[in-house]
Amino acid sequence: MTPMLQNVLLILVMALATPAWAEPLPVKEVAAGVYVHQGAHEDLDAGYHGDICNIGFVVGSKGVAVIDSGGTLDVGRRLREAIRKITDLPILYVINTHVHPDHIFGNAAFREDNPVYVGHAKLPEAMERRKESYMRNNMAWLGEAFAGSEMIKPTRTVDGTLELDLGGRTLQLTAWPPAHTHADLTVLDRATATLWTGDLLFVERTPSMDGDTLNWIKLIPQLKALPAARAIPGHGTPTEQWQAAFDNQQRYFQVLLDDLRAAIKKGVPMEKAMETAAAGEKAHWVLFDNVNRRNVNLLYPLLEWE
Amino acid sequence: MPTRPLMWIASAILISLSHSPVVFAEASEALWPVVKEAFFAGKNIEPADFIRLEGPRRAESGAQVPVTLTIDKAPDAPDAIKKVYLIVDANPIPLAAIYHFTPLNGKAQISTRIRMETDSYIHAVGETADGKLYMTALPIRAAGGCGGLVDSDEAAIRATAGKMKVNLEEPIKFGEPNPATLLIKHPMFTGLQRDLASGGYRPAFYIQKVELTYNGKPVMHVDLGVGTSEDPYLRFFYRPDAPGVMDIKATDNEGKEFTHQVEVKG
Ligand SMILES: [Zn+2]
Repeated sequence: MTPMLQNVLLILVMALATPAWAEPLPVKEVAAGVYVHQGAHEDLDAGYHGDICNIGFVVGSKGVAVIDSGGTLDVGRRLREAIRKITDLPILYVINTHVHPDHIFGNAAFREDNPVYVGHAKLPEAMERRKESYMRNNMAWLGEAFAGSEMIKPTRTVDGTLELDLGGRTLQLTAWPPAHTHADLTVLDRATATLWTGDLLFVERTPSMDGDTLNWIKLIPQLKALPAARAIPGHGTPTEQWQAAFDNQQRYFQVLLDDLRAAIKKGVPMEKAMETAAAGEKAHWVLFDNVNRRNVNLLYPLLEWE
Repeated sequence: MPTRPLMWIASAILISLSHSPVVFAEASEALWPVVKEAFFAGKNIEPADFIRLEGPRRAESGAQVPVTLTIDKAPDAPDAIKKVYLIVDANPIPLAAIYHFTPLNGKAQISTRIRMETDSYIHAVGETADGKLYMTALPIRAAGGCGGLVDSDEAAIRATAGKMKVNLEEPIKFGEPNPATLLIKHPMFTGLQRDLASGGYRPAFYIQKVELTYNGKPVMHVDLGVGTSEDPYLRFFYRPDAPGVMDIKATDNEGKEFTHQVEVKG
């Protein structure tokens, strides 16, 4: 196919795929006034469509808080349409649970609402550090579907805890020490005891590592002690068995660490360890081969120095 | 080393490629002729089966891409490969390292971890004592290992830089090639990473040379570039004739020397 023809086709496909109005995302009310859109379990890589994590919103009597905005402007717009189908109240806050591109690149969809963008105290810095490579990679993965997506930094940051009043209900935000990333935030809706964990909890999808995994493991008992009746994980189905879900995650971490430490001790190189480490966990998780190999690539060089 | 002008040539090509409407980039064969001329101007390089490169088809992380280089020719053969250039065509600074082998390696094989900024061919170019050049190439898909921002605490980094760890695979077989791994704690700053505190670029700071001797005799040395990953990892072979001492000296680009000694017992 000539490049010219390819371009024409690309434009046609884009025109069909991006209607002028945004189709509202399907959302589910998992607790009174708490709505979640569950993304698909796709890898964050070529072939990714920008909609892989859990995003959603909480509605109070004064207004709405958005919790994560999706991986593209378009996904953010569709989330906004979903909100507008349910309420006309103002969108007061857009909260980002962490820096990963699948959670933040829909932020620009809410600019017209003039919300307070909220994140961990270290989130602005993390965004700045990754801006170039995130823009480049997401452009390569998503092409035109990434058009208009922007990195919008928090205008209010959380160091410790912060309460946000939505009218008749309060969200309690907690900033965590390095774990899944260096800037993880959880959101607890006190009214319904619903905990948005961000990617501190993975359900079904293989947990992916980036920040400080050894510290993440140490924080799990604290996370499990939060006064919640259900959790909305960063990826996977929201669940009332959320403490057991943390146990599953903990088990994967421990098996992987044990296997890697044993491999290093025996002189098994990293490339080999990618094939074998935590192999027994494969049946329990989706996207295991891709994500587990990346986790090995990250952890092995660190554990070599223990 | 002609890395400076080369960096800009490679960048120019990359920029022109990234502006094309191709959504899924792939390792480009277009870079090699330019890179080749910068390193080996006017020279003939023959493709060779006896130089092998192994690596992932798609790297899990551009920051630490594991690759293994093997020369299927004894290091004491008359036409032995004396040194091998490991080059990542599409990296802003393409040279990852130059490995200099001797017969005391017993076997010319190196496993290491390299940085890859984007999808690229990696080339291994071997040179004989009389200057003949041979090469092999391997495409690897990867992203984002060279640039970005560094936020690490300079003082803490400098305090641990140069720390070494050696693992000798046991039992030691005297008179035969034995594998060993060397790890060097070092940030290997590329000079292309932005610094949050200053807003500028963090100056390059990296291990430039590693020299290995056994009982005082040179076994191998490596000229490292910033294409070698943070905390450089080298798995190599050495052939001890008797129990003795392996000495490692690493020198950084500021001229600072670090030494480490391991006893090889019977
Ligand atoms: Zn994440």
